[in-house]
Amino acid sequence: MDELLTENGEPRAVAGALMRLISRIGEKELRERQRIAELDILSMGITFTVYTDGENIDRAWPFDIVPRVIAGKEWDLISLGLQQRLWAINHFINDLYNDQKIIADGVFPAELLEASVNYRPWCRGITPKFGVWAHISGTDLVRDDDGQMYVLEDNLRVPSGVSYVIENRGVAKRAFGELFERQRIRPVDGYTGELNRLLTSLAPDGITEPRVAVLTPGIFNSAYFEHSFLAERMGADLVEGADLFVDDDDCVYMKTIHGAERVHVIYRRIDDMFLDPEVFLPDSMLGVPGLMRAWRAGNVGMANAPGAGVADDKVVYAWVPDIIRYYLGEEPLLANVPTYRTMYDDERKFVLDNIGDLVIKPANESGGYGIVIGSHATKEQLDEAAAAIIADPRGFVAQPILSLSTVPTLVEDGLEPRHVDLRPFILTGKYSYVTPGGLTRVALPKGSLVVNSSQGGGSKDTWIIDGEYVPLSQSQSQSQSRSQKSGNDAGNDQSQSQSQSQSEQLTPPAGSQ
Amino acid sequence: MTVLLARTADRLYWGARYLERAEDTARVVRAYNDLVVDYDSPEMLSWEPLAALAGSDRYVEIAEGSTGEREVLAFMLSDRSSPSSILSAVTAARSNLRTTREVLPREAWQTMNQLSQYVDATCAGAVERQLRERFLQRVIEFSRRLDGTTESTMTRSQAYHVMRLGRLIERADMTTRVLGVAAASILATEAAQRQADVREHLVIDEVRWMSILRSISALQMYQQAVRGPIDGLTVVQFLLSYSAFPRSVQGCFDEIRGVVYLLPNAERIEPSLDAAERMLVASNPDVTAGAGLDQSMEHLQAAIAELADAIHDTYVGSVL
Repeated sequence: MDELLTENGEPRAVAGALMRLISRIGEKELRERQRIAELDILSMGITFTVYTDGENIDRAWPFDIVPRVIAGKEWDLISLGLQQRLWAINHFINDLYNDQKIIADGVFPAELLEASVNYRPWCRGITPKFGVWAHISGTDLVRDDDGQMYVLEDNLRVPSGVSYVIENRGVAKRAFGELFERQRIRPVDGYTGELNRLLTSLAPDGITEPRVAVLTPGIFNSAYFEHSFLAERMGADLVEGADLFVDDDDCVYMKTIHGAERVHVIYRRIDDMFLDPEVFLPDSMLGVPGLMRAWRAGNVGMANAPGAGVADDKVVYAWVPDIIRYYLGEEPLLANVPTYRTMYDDERKFVLDNIGDLVIKPANESGGYGIVIGSHATKEQLDEAAAAIIADPRGFVAQPILSLSTVPTLVEDGLEPRHVDLRPFILTGKYSYVTPGGLTRVALPKGSLVVNSSQGGGSKDTWIIDGEYVPLSQSQSQSQSRSQKSGNDAGNDQSQSQSQSQSEQLTPPAGSQ
Repeated sequence: MTVLLARTADRLYWGARYLERAEDTARVVRAYNDLVVDYDSPEMLSWEPLAALAGSDRYVEIAEGSTGEREVLAFMLSDRSSPSSILSAVTAARSNLRTTREVLPREAWQTMNQLSQYVDATCAGAVERQLRERFLQRVIEFSRRLDGTTESTMTRSQAYHVMRLGRLIERADMTTRVLGVAAASILATEAAQRQADVREHLVIDEVRWMSILRSISALQMYQQAVRGPIDGLTVVQFLLSYSAFPRSVQGCFDEIRGVVYLLPNAERIEPSLDAAERMLVASNPDVTAGAGLDQSMEHLQAAIAELADAIHDTYVGSVL
């Protein structure tokens, strides 16, 4: 199905204003706006990094001008579902590192935990502030042909993309200014303020003005742009491992031009295993020796907590509905994609028999790496996948092939449907927060289902629209009666008085609880 | 209180230095361009001395290779392998500032991107005379805009002061290098005169010193400060010691001193700043002869390099 158009090719109600504008301005003007948007992206320095790109480590962010739109009412339900999911997952992680009640009660199998590569036994017995481990999550959502929204995966380690949500909006506002004036599109700018509030709340008790640092692996990391963007927006320090050290007092300090300064909270964008060579990989150059010591002593807050990735595992994923029921006593508000767990004999047999109709996913990869889509794979690739499953049944899951929904996208031949997914960002601390919308990623080659930007995917702005579209004629009569202009500015979409009459109707953005 | 990471300080400092290098190189090439166009006499005024800007080693290297207009201009503007070309300087400025975006005003970063895109796209064409003037003008304007943005929108934080230091060190160094170009051009003329036995010395002299002043955008200010005809001695004195002029070496040193006192551990930098000032005072202003001027400027450059090392050691190298 298409997010903006019905089967007859008519605009859906929520996309009415957008599609009317696109058809009014025509393809030539749309292309011109796309071109200007791309120039904006270059001069704003919005970039991402591709590892295989050799010298060119800094590539312009791919953006498609046609946004994805979602009605506010639908989004509110999705947002509640995401908050519910993350509350339950955080209960689950904290339980695994402490009492392990869910295992004792026979809801979650012990052998799954033993085989988990993201479980950190070192963290046993720790309860971080608020009992929360996965503070920042980038949960991937997809919509199937039947219109149902599914959670595809929970990214709980170092999910990225939120900076592009905010930057895409800046570009889209300039491209479609007239629509922002006449519709209530929920703003996305609030994220960095919410993130700052969350991180600040993780400071050790008694610290009134905590110093927050964003810990990056450095300029060659694919998400470096985002690390510096978030640091800039929060007024936090952007640090690399070598900028920090842990002193004998088990506190973390950063090296400034006049000596050591204490750091109270670290938003780390480095994987667990590289965080602290004293505890994890001993030859890691990216981390800080003693960091885990400082964290366990409560001298520094860390998001996400080390070990949170235990729940970010495509096998554990299959248990999330049970996890929600177990900890919250509620039914899940958001659906899981049916998932076959090849660790069980009967489910493995089904997967091997039907491998050509399924998607095979490695349990612990991210970025779309290692995924085999049965219908697109060669015989050799399928045989290889089957052999890998038999060799390591815990290492894979299988799911039916969803036909991801599409959004019209400006490609060489004009506007054509391309498959999309959606990554909202969920903050969990004392309270929770969900971005209005999120990052819509689009697979640019015709028919492709791979949306990852590291593999040639593009992006779109995502509009959560509230209420009714205000027709031009109506708002114009208002502006004219106020300013007593003598007509003749029909079609002047951007008159000052009109945007004022609009802003009076705006309601505060929802999403924050 | 805001504090500055040592690593970030290092990148800001170098980002600012490379920007100043790009701008100053553009000023010098523009002025020299004027001179050659005014006085198109190949045996008297070759492009060769311009390459002295990149330092005496590079000068020798270029001098031994091709020294035509195109070769020298490509070397100064668009040669990626030359660390002092405008293209290399702008690329280096951007990659340094890219890692300091969290402290740099957004507008300044956008100007940096625009400069970098502009130079990437146009520097090769700017080797041609008809496009050169506009290219150089634009590079100077972008650099001024970036400086203006930080000047007018950035908190007087340590980050700001460190960028100022980078600008000032590079500016002082560049002024000595421009005088090095003067020395090289005098040497070249002297050699040509010996060969051709031409007696046009005085005329060439005045035009040359005007061009030297122009390349530091100092002609007008010089004329306000010094009455009478332009002569080598007063030009050298003006550019070295006239502290009220912000591009004079003394003017840069004074500003550096002011900035250093706003930063921690100023006492560690003071000795090398004092030494550089002593070197400036000691450099005999009566060095309008090519060889003497050339040597004086090399000594002064060495003193500035030591000052730069002291800054680096204090804020980056020996931290903790």
